[in-house]
Amino acid sequence: MISFDSVWKLFPNGVTAVQDLSLEVKEGETLVLLGTSGSGKTTTMKMVNRLLDPTRGRISVNGKDIMQQNRIQLRRNIGYAIQHIGLFPHMTVEENIAVVPTLLSWTQDKIQARVRELLQIVGLSPDEFKHRYPNQLSGGQRQRIGVARALAADPPVILMDEPFGALDPITREQLQDEFLELESEIEKTILFVTHDVFEAAKMGNRIALLDQGQLQQVAAPAELVNEPANAFVDQFLGQHRFQLSLLTRTVLSLLGESSQEPYPAEQERGPVLAARDSLIDALDLFKTTHQKTLAVRRRGEIVGHVHRSQLVQAIHEFLGEEEDPS
Amino acid sequence: MSAVGAFWDKLGPEILQGTLQHLQLTFFALTVAVSIALPVGILLTRLPWKGAVSLVMGAASVVQTVPSLALMAFIVLLFSLVSLPTIGTVPALVALVLYALLPILRNTFTGIRQVDPSVIEVAKGMGMRWYQVLFSVELPLSLPVIMAGIRISTVWTIGVATLCGLIGAGGLGDLIIKGLRSFHMDYVMAGTVPAAAMAILFDFILGRIENWLTPEGIGKEEANNVEV
Repeated sequence: MISFDSVWKLFPNGVTAVQDLSLEVKEGETLVLLGTSGSGKTTTMKMVNRLLDPTRGRISVNGKDIMQQNRIQLRRNIGYAIQHIGLFPHMTVEENIAVVPTLLSWTQDKIQARVRELLQIVGLSPDEFKHRYPNQLSGGQRQRIGVARALAADPPVILMDEPFGALDPITREQLQDEFLELESEIEKTILFVTHDVFEAAKMGNRIALLDQGQLQQVAAPAELVNEPANAFVDQFLGQHRFQLSLLTRTVLSLLGESSQEPYPAEQERGPVLAARDSLIDALDLFKTTHQKTLAVRRRGEIVGHVHRSQLVQAIHEFLGEEEDPS
Repeated sequence: MSAVGAFWDKLGPEILQGTLQHLQLTFFALTVAVSIALPVGILLTRLPWKGAVSLVMGAASVVQTVPSLALMAFIVLLFSLVSLPTIGTVPALVALVLYALLPILRNTFTGIRQVDPSVIEVAKGMGMRWYQVLFSVELPLSLPVIMAGIRISTVWTIGVATLCGLIGAGGLGDLIIKGLRSFHMDYVMAGTVPAAAMAILFDFILGRIENWLTPEGIGKEEANNVEV
């Protein structure tokens, strides 16, 4: 858990990067700090592991005031992943992942076992990759290692500064999906910085929208889209609103309470939707498969079927129209 | 063969002695220069005051700009004013050290400066102490650049050290000066050829060391890039 209590950050050059920020990242939650460059989102993140110290106010991690803690110990207990390379180019994949465990003086056996485990978690074969150098990896592989490194010492809190920012759209989406999957298993408290509205809506349990150092709204993605707190939020989401509405609503919500009779997934042949897929994913699948109905899978079981018309109805609702009953 | 044989019979011992002295001068001067320039170069990257950087770099550049013969003469003059020995190895070493400082200083400074700031920040963010950041991130990544500086200094020092004969510090310069004064070209050859060979040899050896010290994983960008 991370809490910000009336935090200010003023830089010597007179810039007020963060103004009176009060915010709480709940245990096990992913909170996205969203904003344009200069909004103070990265500054806010860097105050958590004391790469920057707040000018005023109090930040605590898991109930303990960070200013009362040793800077070095604090950082070793917080995972940190950033955009750009960030990997140490002169160290192998194994050495990169082992940095924090080594700083914490783990035994060699324990470190090696952990590296192996983490590489498997991020989907890279340990034997093939652990002796490679970062320049022998693709962008997507590097970011995977970056994530693995942040998880290395199993910290309860992780800071991620546009961890997928430097990737092409396809790889980025793939990594986002993988990370969501991973995250649902590891239950970490994550503070995630991005300028990408869609990434925010996808990754965050809640989104904190910042502008010029001021918090505009903190809300779940769907709420942010449907009930913007002020004109800025409204304008920021602007032209993306329709897409975001579709993106923040899951396929599961289309099912209602009616057809929730679980039966094994094996009986379903052909394309299947995942319960947490967005309406955009659904649109996509209907279009590519030309099916009238699609099955919805949740935790390996089919929990219902969605008819094409249900999706169209949902879109009509977004447009503020009642569907013609005829 | 007999001509070479006669040459060697006549000058062999002097060549060996001169070479040995030359090596000693170069080695001592470089050891001192590295132990000054390396820490000062690192320190300069830490100073928040930019003026200090240009001041130190400027001073080192000025020394470097002064012709080596003039520098040596100047040091003799300076030493005579404060009644220090004006001939022998002490003034010669001082001149050589001053001359060798700049390339090492400049390359240490720029080598550390060119390390990607995001790499340093992530090192700090992961909880490395300042000396861990320096020794396990900044220095390994700037080592090739620092080594290049030491290599340049070495080659220069071997060259400038030939002038040390002028102030009685010995070395291969002794033979060259002797030969020039008495129009004995065999003496001149006996000094210049080993000095030139020494410079070329050291350049080669240090180039190899530089390669060997370059951490694997940097400088081989085009190496096997792979699929996602």
